Amino acid sequence: MRSNYRDIRARNDSAWLIPNDGTRTDHRLRADMRRYGDEDEVDIVVVGAGAGGGVLTQRLARAGWRVVCLDAGPFWDPDTDWVSDERAAHTLYWTDPRQIGGTDPVPLGSNNSGRGVGGSMIHYAGYTPRFHPSDFHTFSADGVGADWPIDYWDLKPFYEAIEQELPVAGQDWPWGDPHAYPHHPHPVGGNGQIFLRGARAAGIDARVGPVAIPNGRFGNRPHCIYRGFCLQGCKVNAKASPLITHIPDALASGAEIRPDCMVTRVVVDDRTGAATGVNYVRAGREHHQRARAVAVAGYSIETPRLLLLSATGRHPQGLGNDHDQVGRYLMVQGAPQTAGRFSEEIRMYKAPPPEVSSEQFYETDPSKPYKRGWAIQTVSPLPITWAEHVTAQGHWGAPLREYLRDYVHWATLGALCEYLPQPDNRVTLADEKDRHGLPVAHFAYSQCDNDKQLTRAATASLETILRAAGASEVITIDRYAHLVGGARIATHAEDGVVDGNHRVFGTPNLYVVDGSVLPTQGSANPALTIMALAARAAARLIAAARGGLAEAQLASR
Amino acid sequence: MPYRCRSQHAVTPQGRGRYPGFDVLDNVHAWDDVTAGVVLARLALPGGLAFFTSAEVGVAAPLLDLLLAQDGDPRVPVLALIDARLAAGETDGWHYDEMPEDAQAWRDTLRLLDEDARARHSGRGFAELTSGKQAALIQAVQDAGTDGQEWHGWSAEHVWSLWTRYACTAFYSHPWAWNEIGFPGPAYPRGYLNAGLDSREHWEVADHDDEDPIPFADRVETARHEHADVVGEERAQERGL
Repeated sequence: MRSNYRDIRARNDSAWLIPNDGTRTDHRLRADMRRYGDEDEVDIVVVGAGAGGGVLTQRLARAGWRVVCLDAGPFWDPDTDWVSDERAAHTLYWTDPRQIGGTDPVPLGSNNSGRGVGGSMIHYAGYTPRFHPSDFHTFSADGVGADWPIDYWDLKPFYEAIEQELPVAGQDWPWGDPHAYPHHPHPVGGNGQIFLRGARAAGIDARVGPVAIPNGRFGNRPHCIYRGFCLQGCKVNAKASPLITHIPDALASGAEIRPDCMVTRVVVDDRTGAATGVNYVRAGREHHQRARAVAVAGYSIETPRLLLLSATGRHPQGLGNDHDQVGRYLMVQGAPQTAGRFSEEIRMYKAPPPEVSSEQFYETDPSKPYKRGWAIQTVSPLPITWAEHVTAQGHWGAPLREYLRDYVHWATLGALCEYLPQPDNRVTLADEKDRHGLPVAHFAYSQCDNDKQLTRAATASLETILRAAGASEVITIDRYAHLVGGARIATHAEDGVVDGNHRVFGTPNLYVVDGSVLPTQGSANPALTIMALAARAAARLIAAARGGLAEAQLASR
Repeated sequence: MPYRCRSQHAVTPQGRGRYPGFDVLDNVHAWDDVTAGVVLARLALPGGLAFFTSAEVGVAAPLLDLLLAQDGDPRVPVLALIDARLAAGETDGWHYDEMPEDAQAWRDTLRLLDEDARARHSGRGFAELTSGKQAALIQAVQDAGTDGQEWHGWSAEHVWSLWTRYACTAFYSHPWAWNEIGFPGPAYPRGYLNAGLDSREHWEVADHDDEDPIPFADRVETARHEHADVVGEERAQERGL
């Protein structure tokens, strides 16, 4: 679908609100930001300024709501705060202590956890595929996963709106619900060329995109310079993140973004059962922000943790947790990465890591013993991540150095396998405390048999493509990617944490609007879906408010 | 561009590399100043160690040299880079639930590696052993990890991951290591013009292999022999004992 810029600006002017003089941040817009006092009862306080919280804040502010959005991390300025360096991008990650366990522990931090305004989208690769219609009813169709209370067609208009606002570049998309993208695909680098060549030779369908980097200027955002550091924060303002796609318009619409605020508790009045605001720590001092409603958007680890930390007399096991659902069904995607060695120089550090993908293996193949599938994408590890890939083969010492000296000759593809949601893959509170004296999150993760079969099949497909492209050697590392789930949407409180309107069961004015609400994950990178869900949640909140419905009436709709 | 004396041009760790004359620091003038600051800081003489004790250095220094095959000068100061990181508490946040957080895990694993040495070599500490004997002790930890075994009550795989993660992060953050592997480092605000197979910017240097072709498989085989010379013989003796 082609974009009409007038329509986009009518709902989100962000790209036109950033400077066009070569600097990346409008400091005047931030300095002139509307500010509320802790004692002001705002319409809603949003916890977290990432994919979910950023979009929710922008939409509600534009509709006239009085919104304060708190984030535990900084209000980034790409010019001064980010570097074109793999090692020094460490500041972008959530690095407060967390424990990982289970039979297949999932590393957090740099792998999947962001902090600061823009959230994990500051360091995501930039892939923005839609979910397929089948993702919303995997239980009915295949007897695995779960059915959502909403379906793809509920979300489709919001996918289209967000794709225009980011905007997304890519070829016409043949998989799932076939669709076009607002921007033409980007030229591809060596890694993408290898993928296209291998896929063609192996008879596998592949397409360029979908990538949330405009092809050309978009508003005042400049053209991508193909420098390859997408995962270290885009200093160019080319790769989309809420910091540039939604926060500027939120500020212009009167929202307050309050950075460096660690929310420690959602405060609920046990007499009324309603949330009254949040407690947070800023610069070592405790505060309480009053609000008529609270939306938690802290992603799949911190959202469950905050709900558990907010226990009251009425909800002694934590908010939304009367049925022991908080933190459960947390998902990661299996992300095996296979590299192939070529006599040509690939130099995969040039051009953005997100280039080409295939969703040919996305759906359940009835001829196979496993359910659901995987997607294939280019990934282009920089030297430190490439060293991790090589050490995973058991190399150290001289062979490690030799493989690394050969860096320019390797191309790397990654798969995203749809690992299934399981109740025991969950966040709980550990005995260990963080620097605020609060229990840290413990994340237990174990793969099921279907997960392991998917990983093997996906790895074989990666090797097939690279061999078909002419690789003389292939090496694979098993990794994980993304987090979703942990406070999932469900029809009944017995099966989840929030209802189809993102309202936490048992607390009428408390919402969860982030990746933790997803009941299944597909083989798609989650950012676009999280944003689309947030836009939908906002539309429903706005419609309900306009209709003059009381909170209790909305709950029964 | 900052001044650099001639002997410091195109430095690679131990003088190894395949990209003759390639020096990422030739392009400092094309970087943004924040990035230039963090990269150039890695060239400074490390200050005194703040985290590791003297006894721990005796174990960590040879461990890190062996992991990265840094058997001579010039060396990337990996020990100092890790020390600074642990002293500042700059971890990735997460830790395996059976292990302590990273700083304590480093102290504990270095102590245990030293205990391994004393148990197997009649009371001699890790620092006092030949590099061959040290390498054999390290190899034993990796082997246990590959077999899914424990090492002193912890998953050997998790211990191996801790060591290699910190070692590689420090080593491959250094511009000398980038010179060695042909990676041009920071790329803002310039970016790249010539992506695609066998395409280079004018400041990139071709793989020396193009002029002096040795198949990759042969090079890896040579590296394996080198490695085996360090680990192999002693390891055979260990197993024989």
